[in-house]
Amino acid sequence: MIDLGSFSSLQLDAIREVGNIGTGNAATALSKLLSCMINMDVPKAELVSIYELAEHYGDPGREVAAVFVRSLGGFGCSLIFVQQEEDAQLMVDLLLKQQFGDYLPENLPQEMRDSALTEVGNIILSSFLNAINLLIGTQHQISVPAVAHDMLSSILDVVASIFGQMGEMALMINTQLRVEGAGLANISGSIILVPDPDALEMLLRKLRVL
Amino acid sequence: MAEASHVLGMADLLVARAPVKLVTLGLGSCIGLVVFDTTAKVAGMAHIMLPDSRGAIGNEKVGKFADTAVPALIDEMLKKGAVKSHIKAKIAGGAQMFALPGASADFLTVGARNVKETTARLARLGIALIASDTGGNKGRTVEFSTSDWMLKIKTLGKGVTEI
Repeated sequence: MIDLGSFSSLQLDAIREVGNIGTGNAATALSKLLSCMINMDVPKAELVSIYELAEHYGDPGREVAAVFVRSLGGFGCSLIFVQQEEDAQLMVDLLLKQQFGDYLPENLPQEMRDSALTEVGNIILSSFLNAINLLIGTQHQISVPAVAHDMLSSILDVVASIFGQMGEMALMINTQLRVEGAGLANISGSIILVPDPDALEMLLRKLRVL
Repeated sequence: MAEASHVLGMADLLVARAPVKLVTLGLGSCIGLVVFDTTAKVAGMAHIMLPDSRGAIGNEKVGKFADTAVPALIDEMLKKGAVKSHIKAKIAGGAQMFALPGASADFLTVGARNVKETTARLARLGIALIASDTGGNKGRTVEFSTSDWMLKIKTLGKGVTEI
């Protein structure tokens, strides 16, 4: 198993590049879906203490919306798309206004809004994953998406418990997407990629940095 | 005397004399375990992340795993003057944040395993577990005060309950 403690900067760079390719694809998909321009940050690949995950990303008690998928087979990993709750709701409004025109999305039942949110997350994360699998030449299946609205630290428990089983550091690939457009409030969200322990080794070999 | 307040992070473990308030934020699958002795007036809390330390690498925090956190917390209580037969416990947490139909992933059910292991470890030491609020799919912020020995549990969208 990979020892995250002895990860080299070359390996981190290679992982970050994977994040870059995934994010580019995800941004394109989101842009098509919302008919908006999407800006993306240069992704970061970093090693973070599992004891300080939430603090690393902000206020642990902050209310966030998160969409979660698992990739099975090929490159095994978990992917989470996290947004501040207000941003998630703005994004849902944006999508539903396109679909329903004048119909006020606020009047839609919560389940329907959640379903829209889950689908946006699913599209972003699937596009991200497709790009990675194309890059390293693996085939994968993706689980149905799950959504949660909760405190940042509760959501990140999922990540902490995966990495916690093999040590005290988590490898996080984190990137931000921002919806841009005239008259739109800034909507942003982060993609977090959490490779399975055995998948990480495979990924590094395919990238020829192990 | 003013009540000292301590916020515990992941895998932290702390025992303190009353008056004290012990807080931990946003428990998802993690467990907030509280133990207290109202006669000796001491209370302790652990923020447990995983059930089982077997296979753990190196010298990790004892509060991280249920099987190491429970005995360590009780030991610490005894050192601070608690009497074992007087110690009572309350637990909260162990939620499953995401449910994926059809996809079985061990780590998604870690909350339930945390609850099971923590409960079993308390029983093994003969500590009475007098109240619990576990499972479900919502995160919890917990606050234990020695002013009334109650564990206050805050859940987004559901308000506050006390056990």
